[in-house]
Amino acid sequence: MAEITLNFTVNGEVAKVTTEPVKTLLQMLREDLALHSVKEGCAQGDCGSCIVVMSGQAVNSCLVLAAQVEGAEIVTLEGLSKNGRLHPLQRQFAELWAFQCGFCTAGMLMSCYALLLNNPAPTQVEIRTAIEGNLCRCTSYRAVMDAVLASTEGGHLP
Amino acid sequence: MTKMEIVGKPTEALGSEDILTGKARYCGDLTFPGMLVGKLLYSAHPHARIKKLDISAALAMPGVVTVLTHQDIPGKNNFLYALDDQPILVSQFARYQGDALVALAAEDKNSAQAALKAIQVEYEPLPGVYDALEAMKPGSIQVWPDRSNLYDRLVIEHGDIQAGFDAAEVLIEHTYHTPLIEHAFLEPECAVSLVDWDGTIIVYSPGQSPHRDRHQIARALAIPEAKVRVIYPTIGGAFGGKDELHVQIHAALLAQATGRPVMLERTREESIRTHVKRHPIQVRYRTGATREGKITAIHVEAIGDTGPYVNAGAEVMSVLAATVFGPYVVPNAHIEASTVLTNNPICGAMRGFGIPQGQFATELQMDALAREVNLDPLDIRLLNGLETGDTLPTGARLRQAGGMKGCLLEAAEMAGWAERQQTEDRPAPHLRRGWGMASIIFTTGLGRNVPDSAGAGLDMATDGSVLLRTAASDMGQGAHTVLAQIAAEALGVELSAVKVTQPDTHRATSAGASAGSRTTFVSGNAVLDAAKPIRETLLQIAAEETGLPVELLSLRSGRVYADDEQLSLSVADLAGQAGQQNRRLHAEGFYTMEYPEPLPEGEYPYAHGTFTFATQIARVLVDIETGEVMVEEVIAVQDAGKVINPGGALGQVEGGCAMGIGYALMEELVVNQGRTINNSLESYLIPTAKDIPQIRARLLEFPEPYAPYGSKGIGEASLTPTAPAITNAVADALGLPIRQIPLTAERVLAAIDSL
Amino acid sequence: MTFPDYFAPATLDEALAKLGQQAGGAQIIAGGTDLLPRMRAGLVNPNLLVDLASLALAGIRRESSFVYLGARVTHAQVLESKLLRQHYPALVVACEAIGGPSIRNRGTLGGNLVNASPAADAAPPLLVYDADLLLVSQGAERCLPLADFFFGPGKTALARDEILKEVRLPVPSGRTAAAFLKLGKRQAMAIAVVSVAVRLTLNQNSRIDQARIALGSVAPRPLRAMESEKVLLGRPLEKLPIVEAASVAAGEASPISDIRASGDYRRRMVEVLVRRALSSACQELQREKIGG
Repeated sequence: MAEITLNFTVNGEVAKVTTEPVKTLLQMLREDLALHSVKEGCAQGDCGSCIVVMSGQAVNSCLVLAAQVEGAEIVTLEGLSKNGRLHPLQRQFAELWAFQCGFCTAGMLMSCYALLLNNPAPTQVEIRTAIEGNLCRCTSYRAVMDAVLASTEGGHLP
Repeated sequence: MTKMEIVGKPTEALGSEDILTGKARYCGDLTFPGMLVGKLLYSAHPHARIKKLDISAALAMPGVVTVLTHQDIPGKNNFLYALDDQPILVSQFARYQGDALVALAAEDKNSAQAALKAIQVEYEPLPGVYDALEAMKPGSIQVWPDRSNLYDRLVIEHGDIQAGFDAAEVLIEHTYHTPLIEHAFLEPECAVSLVDWDGTIIVYSPGQSPHRDRHQIARALAIPEAKVRVIYPTIGGAFGGKDELHVQIHAALLAQATGRPVMLERTREESIRTHVKRHPIQVRYRTGATREGKITAIHVEAIGDTGPYVNAGAEVMSVLAATVFGPYVVPNAHIEASTVLTNNPICGAMRGFGIPQGQFATELQMDALAREVNLDPLDIRLLNGLETGDTLPTGARLRQAGGMKGCLLEAAEMAGWAERQQTEDRPAPHLRRGWGMASIIFTTGLGRNVPDSAGAGLDMATDGSVLLRTAASDMGQGAHTVLAQIAAEALGVELSAVKVTQPDTHRATSAGASAGSRTTFVSGNAVLDAAKPIRETLLQIAAEETGLPVELLSLRSGRVYADDEQLSLSVADLAGQAGQQNRRLHAEGFYTMEYPEPLPEGEYPYAHGTFTFATQIARVLVDIETGEVMVEEVIAVQDAGKVINPGGALGQVEGGCAMGIGYALMEELVVNQGRTINNSLESYLIPTAKDIPQIRARLLEFPEPYAPYGSKGIGEASLTPTAPAITNAVADALGLPIRQIPLTAERVLAAIDSL
Repeated sequence: MTFPDYFAPATLDEALAKLGQQAGGAQIIAGGTDLLPRMRAGLVNPNLLVDLASLALAGIRRESSFVYLGARVTHAQVLESKLLRQHYPALVVACEAIGGPSIRNRGTLGGNLVNASPAADAAPPLLVYDADLLLVSQGAERCLPLADFFFGPGKTALARDEILKEVRLPVPSGRTAAAFLKLGKRQAMAIAVVSVAVRLTLNQNSRIDQARIALGSVAPRPLRAMESEKVLLGRPLEKLPIVEAASVAAGEASPISDIRASGDYRRRMVEVLVRRALSSACQELQREKIGG
């Protein structure tokens, strides 16, 4: 299969990658762009570790083909902090122990980030739904939800 | 004791910024120039003779650099745990579905995959034995030609069992079953190996015991251990499943054979298929008690299916045996624990190490006893509960057991246990509400007469910053943060001044395994041991600098104090001085788990000496038409001895409950004739955010003698009470007990039908 | 997974032409949430992927007494659509129960239907809402009731040279209420053990004018429980034979035993879920009545 050249943006920067069109976005991000925050936990959409934000929506990057990314805007965890300053989500995850081994964390943060993009003041129910596709084996998810609430404008812990 | 600056304060996890910004490097993120992709070929059958293995086609494929079989292993072709029974690459017989036949390395994933497919194997499938009870019968198919399927049968006896049962006015006997469980750490197994410029074989991998890994790698590659270097990158969860080697030796063999870096990753399906699991265990439990509910004797028979290779099987069963009496005074006991070989998936270490399985039975048995003698579940546990100074059926005397009744009463208070009858037990025609509790004992450390020690190194630089060199593995449980806190407190520096090295056999001495909830205790004490001479030197220099007596001086958060007055002198100043004066500011610490009291004659020689206690209470709703169980709330109270990091510790308790909810309600690896059927995270279900209710957790502190600051292990005890508490709650809701987990809707409905 | 070729046509005609050229080796891809895992497992091995992404197939529109959903409408779009929430609430509830948000952002209704898993969550509600499918091929179009679309697991009436273009739903009129219930082995990210959709429509005398009951995961395909529907026809809202209908529905299921549940359990759950769904729809109709 002939390689194709894809033009899209990643974390606010223009990217141009020449690769097999049916490679997954997960593989492309890790192998061609060295964006290692994106993790492979199952490679088939069951665990959420590979979730990134594509054109404003959370997607499992293991289920998106490289070719389908043409013209899209991708955000990975590497793009969450701006100019070295942590996003409120990142700060709250740290302060509230919303992670332990950290392997699910990038996907988890991307799901939470996508939620806030579309819903800046979510309820706990909405947060729980936003992360229902992110498996975590270390925590009870409680701290994740608290961290999202705490990170929102005027948000406070229940 | 002086007020503490760092120990006991909520502390952000070390390395959190790296993880939260995506900079942290897990094994699969490592890249080296010229790195090859390694893959393993696993047996197509759970039990088969390998008649013919032809790798020639694979070798000839484009991109393939090397293809190895058992003949290519320079040293020992086996892993080494309890026995050296498991081959690294099968020569004649595959004995479970995860046995590897071939290791290959290619330039890229596609070439490696294609080459795997080109390997030609001729199997002679053999009949296997897939049930532990069948395996124990005479005439059963033998897993091994030269040894019994009953690999080990441990018996622990205490007191006079006959007299104990003679004195019993009430007898309860039941059999309990727990299933085969998958760890489901989010990071599948991986290893990257390369040959360093000086010929050292480096292996990066997630693991729990780098020196033990090194030993096994070295003996397989037939090179000295000192020429092998094992380094742990950031680890994506383990829970005991990475305690044993997975693909490290294979990766090292490939690196050694090719001279190039090799990355060997397992897919999720391969991971579920191959790595060790939690033992499925059947426990037959007979309890004798007085009519008032006081236990007089127990007779317990536990049977664990360990698969064909012993791995940690006998140890798991022995730890079960050494705790299955629960947190209760049991004057007479006969406990048998059998480790049985089959051709099912291998079982080994998993969070709890036999104790969750055993005390699932114990706690259901206590509720059964409570019903029989008409006592409240809380009262029967208070009646029989252990106290400081009591002796266990293993012969160990409890140095500190305040946590047993302490946690029990606190949990009952938090849950409103005494008022629970006031809650609506039938909130809808098809719903039943139930309350259940479980109270457990857990061990810290590995047991008497078992090697249980750790080294740790502390190096203070001339600017007062500190390198903490530990081989203890942080798998997400926060071990490195806790050890750094201990070091910072002991040296009187700020936490930010302490840098913890990644576990590295070239940098730190062995810490033993990060297992058995022992890391804080044993490695923590090793850190304290290393800190002592450094602190003494610093104080000595301070005394010389200030002219004040040493007794007046202290070090806190990087500054020097005389009594409580802060001086202008900093620890960095002292460190700088030390360098000028040829004074040593580095030390190696070492600690061995202590057993200061002799074990009474005739008692269990491997008894533990340090124990922790926990109680959990669950409130559930059962839909009696569908059988679905919904957990409304879990109360979890646990004795941590001393909480070093409240933030991390709470996470460990909540996370343990979450895993326990999965164990109770939805987790089971289904095996059919030795093959796991649900090999993916779509079909092996662990709890999502929608499956975990509110968990109210509290940590109590009953300081443990000999422990660093009195602390003891948290991470396994937190998982142990959850499933029995939920199961007892379901029994309460339905008015009948179910003695097997998981409590799937179908299983619960079948129980309801039988009413 | 070997690498197939990839083609992203700009028009439907281009897509159809390509399908025709490939003599069966081509596979349509939309969201990829079912297809990619199946390819990875080696269950399907296309030599060409034809991506519908650029085609205008993701609209939701009302035209007189029908609502049209493009085949590429994602489950997330269903949840966001006021129009669908208003007229097809059972479909919205079903789509909420599919995967998690990231799956719903990509997975499409068309994919859910064409993949034809017996457990397809969108199928039971679409059946009770009387969906028709618009299937196009080169130079031809046909409209097929969804009830005639499923043949068995993975097998549908879609011909090799056809593409599913749209789902057409009549706008429900009069007094009507629907419900969807799904039983899974955990509270999210679960494949249905049993799923059920019902819809009841009353005439002016408060008797059942139309009854629809659809079952998922209990037969080789999602199906309407026709006998069960007949039990309800013409009966008064105040005294609907719900228990009887539910019992008949259970008899119309032919569930298998698999890793998730036994056939017996599934059959029992059909009765429970149909009963509960019918009760729910009834209660809604009764509330409407009281509300005036």
